[in-house]
Amino acid sequence: MSGRSAWWRADVVLKPDEAAGPETAPARLSEADTAYLASLAPAAISRYQRLNPLTKATLATVTTLGAFVLGGYLGPLLLLVGIVLPGAIAAHLLRRVVRVAVLFSLPISISVALVSVFTRAGSTVLFNLGPFDATLEGVDFAAQIIVRLFTIAMALALFGLTTEPRAFVVDLERRGLSPRVAFAAAATLETIPLMVERALAIQAAQRARGLDTEGSLSARVRGVLPLVAPVILSSLTEVEERSLALEVRSFGRPGRRDLLWTLPDTGRERALRWLLVAALVVALVAPLAGVMPRLP
Amino acid sequence: MASKWFRVAVAVVVGAVTLVVGMAAAGSFDTTVDPNTGLVAGSNAFMFVLAVALLLAFIAYAGVEFATTRRLDSITSQFDTRTIVLIPIAIAINIVLGQTVGNALKIPLYLDSVGTILVGALAGPIPGALTGLLANLIWTFVLAGTPFGSAFAWPFAIVAAEIGLLAGVFGYYGFFRSRPNTSIPTLVGGVVVAGLILLGLAAYGVLPFYAKGGFTFFGTNPTDSLFTIIAYGIGIGLILALVALTIQLFVRRDLGVAFIVVAGAICGVISALISAPISAFVFGGVTGSGSDILVGAFQQAGSSLIEAVFQQGLLQDPIDKTIEFIVAFLLLQTLSRRFSARFPQGERAVGMVEG
Repeated sequence: MSGRSAWWRADVVLKPDEAAGPETAPARLSEADTAYLASLAPAAISRYQRLNPLTKATLATVTTLGAFVLGGYLGPLLLLVGIVLPGAIAAHLLRRVVRVAVLFSLPISISVALVSVFTRAGSTVLFNLGPFDATLEGVDFAAQIIVRLFTIAMALALFGLTTEPRAFVVDLERRGLSPRVAFAAAATLETIPLMVERALAIQAAQRARGLDTEGSLSARVRGVLPLVAPVILSSLTEVEERSLALEVRSFGRPGRRDLLWTLPDTGRERALRWLLVAALVVALVAPLAGVMPRLP
Repeated sequence: MASKWFRVAVAVVVGAVTLVVGMAAAGSFDTTVDPNTGLVAGSNAFMFVLAVALLLAFIAYAGVEFATTRRLDSITSQFDTRTIVLIPIAIAINIVLGQTVGNALKIPLYLDSVGTILVGALAGPIPGALTGLLANLIWTFVLAGTPFGSAFAWPFAIVAAEIGLLAGVFGYYGFFRSRPNTSIPTLVGGVVVAGLILLGLAAYGVLPFYAKGGFTFFGTNPTDSLFTIIAYGIGIGLILALVALTIQLFVRRDLGVAFIVVAGAICGVISALISAPISAFVFGGVTGSGSDILVGAFQQAGSSLIEAVFQQGLLQDPIDKTIEFIVAFLLLQTLSRRFSARFPQGERAVGMVEG
């Protein structure tokens, strides 16, 4: 295990007094716990992935907010070229990040393009399509929005692909996030695949009873209710069992929890985070104060 | 209980003082009616001051409770283990429904708040608001690397929080109760009152955004016949939905439906007013769902972007939220009462405790 502890320390688990009696306290984690903790830290890791999750989250958030605050073309493009692309290259994930970002932003970009290009009022008409005039102003506006949305999608895709969500939540909990909120966030992650699985099982069960789920559109629409209602209701009734299971493990007990592992966080990363936040504040305040001109 | 009223009183005073100070600081409001939109020009500044006042009032409430009792029982008691377990399931319901209905089917509905409404009704306003907030943040940040992630959900977290908060308040006042076998006169009276409330809401909350020198639904430009057809389609759909509801109301003689429709419509109007500026400034007015065609339609009819987004939102959100409230209402009626009653606000929400 010590071989794996290059960037996270699951081996520092016991308080000194507990570690003192080797025959009483369990000196090491169980197999299952070790496997779980190992799953939090993916094996193939680059320098970028090794950053603390909060640093990656700050990078994504500041890029996202910065793209709005700066506006125009130049600001988001600078953020894309200056922050997101180097990160993606450092993580050896450029192609996947681009693919996920395109998937994120394609539907909304098509909407932006259609709505803005054809229906935005403007004086310079490029061409006509039936009753719709494509205006230069509309093209300009749509291009700005699409550049901005793509930058945001890239930043969040990079964050999502390089960060194990559970590690992010646990790290936030270590920094003082309420354990209950942390539980809610982590449990959501587990609940969605379970719910999809449950939906498939219920679909199979209903089909065995003769429900048509693959026929015409109207048949499929009629099949939605006998599918959705049991999924939601059975998920809700599960609250009962889950909360009992948590209660007997003293989930509701007040007070701080000791976490069994920590992710390393260097002073340099901390400085980088504050620097990013400060830069965002400057970008927000400076144009208002008239110090900095708005970027084109 | 006396201490509760004291806290509420302090909060009201703080809120009122903030409101007065804020109004004075902002100077005289421009009360002239904008000829383009038919809106009072100072309403944005007023909304901002109101939001700050509400926030300070809440902090004062919590502060007084903490100062007098060293605890925050009235808030933390809304977060028992059962509620904490319900929250992730509610968020999963939101995301699964929202992702399939809103993004995949391209129906002009969102349907991504059913879970939030359930938590608000069963557990209270603050868990409801937290669920909404968390749902959108998790949707973006925790699920970013999974097929269920959405990079563009987080700006609307504040709207989701507002929906949960309102659902909690409506739940507290019993709007989610089923009221079967109401006598016919009461039923008719209730429907008339609900109709009047909806009309008032439409007159003061919705129609000002469409009044551009007289009420024109979609412009009168004859080249826009496509949009006229869409507009009539939506209008007919709305009327059919209302008729179906009224029939339902009379068949089951359940006055609860009237309460739910009013609650959903109020929530929808407020959601539209909050989300429209976000949508306009952040996304250029679109969300990537089927409702974008409406924004285009209104813009084509001559509205500016922000007006078009308000008009789209005020058409869509009340319908969407009403449907979501009805779905949540039906779910609450289907769940066993034993189950609902174990949540902090469950007994009030489903009507086992009066008052």
